[in-house]
Amino acid sequence: SVKERTIAENSLVILLQGLRGRVTTVELRDESAAAGLVTSVDAFMNVRLAEVTLTDRRGAVSHLDELFVTGRNVRYVHIPDDVDIRATIEEQLRAIHRVRFFGGRDKGRREFPQAK
Amino acid sequence: SRLSWLENSGVGFSLDYPTISLHAVSRDLSAFPREHLYVMVNAKFEEETKETPMAEGEEEDDSDDDVEPIAEFRFVPNDKSALEAMFSAMCECQALHPDPDDDDSDNDYEGDEYDVEARELEQGDIPSFYTYEEGLSHLTAEGQATLERLEGMLAQSVSTQYNMAGVRTEDSIREFEDGMEVDVAPVVAGQFEDAEVDH
Repeated sequence: SVKERTIAENSLVILLQGLRGRVTTVELRDESAAAGLVTSVDAFMNVRLAEVTLTDRRGAVSHLDELFVTGRNVRYVHIPDDVDIRATIEEQLRAIHRVRFFGGRDKGRREFPQAK
Repeated sequence: SRLSWLENSGVGFSLDYPTISLHAVSRDLSAFPREHLYVMVNAKFEEETKETPMAEGEEEDDSDDDVEPIAEFRFVPNDKSALEAMFSAMCECQALHPDPDDDDSDNDYEGDEYDVEARELEQGDIPSFYTYEEGLSHLTAEGQATLERLEGMLAQSVSTQYNMAGVRTEDSIREFEDGMEVDVAPVVAGQFEDAEVDH
């Protein structure tokens, strides 16, 4: 949605969105941690993971096929060491701009101007 | 606006989406004997509540006052193939309930969007509307059909109170009442002049 693209463009959540397809660990507010493959991250930082190992704050481990964590409950997201943070952000921004200006500058969704 | 679980007997309960911290599909039978939808909720539930036979409430054991109460639910459907749909539905519903306390991201987006029109008119290269002559040359076949249909509708509506440019004149009204077909084409010129009016 337009609103989500705007939010993503203006916050670091865009970096998390670039982690799609990567395996990483998400630490939650209640000190449990979920490790898995990032399926998606939305502008509200809701994270969807697949093939998850959930370690609750007491240390008990469970395996879940899919997990959805609300953004509010995310404390940390581990960025894998081999991720180039700047390049990931730039690529995500390009993807947003492709949607926004699909078909050329004077066509496609006119959300707001390219540069201020 | 709430997650509800109902048994066949009609007994059930509801959870408010904002209280749900996370949800998951668990197919690990070594952890729990049935495939289920696991939901973690940020709230306390009384143990003696009879409406929640499938719920497992876990009270916080720590004496640490800062830790919030947590309750864990396992929803076991009779048909485990429903789990995907249940999970996805919950994801969508959660996305519809963004955190009201989160005040860093959404503030300025409204302002940016409403600048579009002003910026476009100022730049002049991206018109948000066409004057009649320009518009005609950009019409697709579908657009042309729509235009003709709308013009037909306009011609049909009899309005003597006001004189919309190009649509109705005293003369053409008389013609219409005579039962003669009004030829719309001649009155089309200038019909969209009002589109140029500044609002």
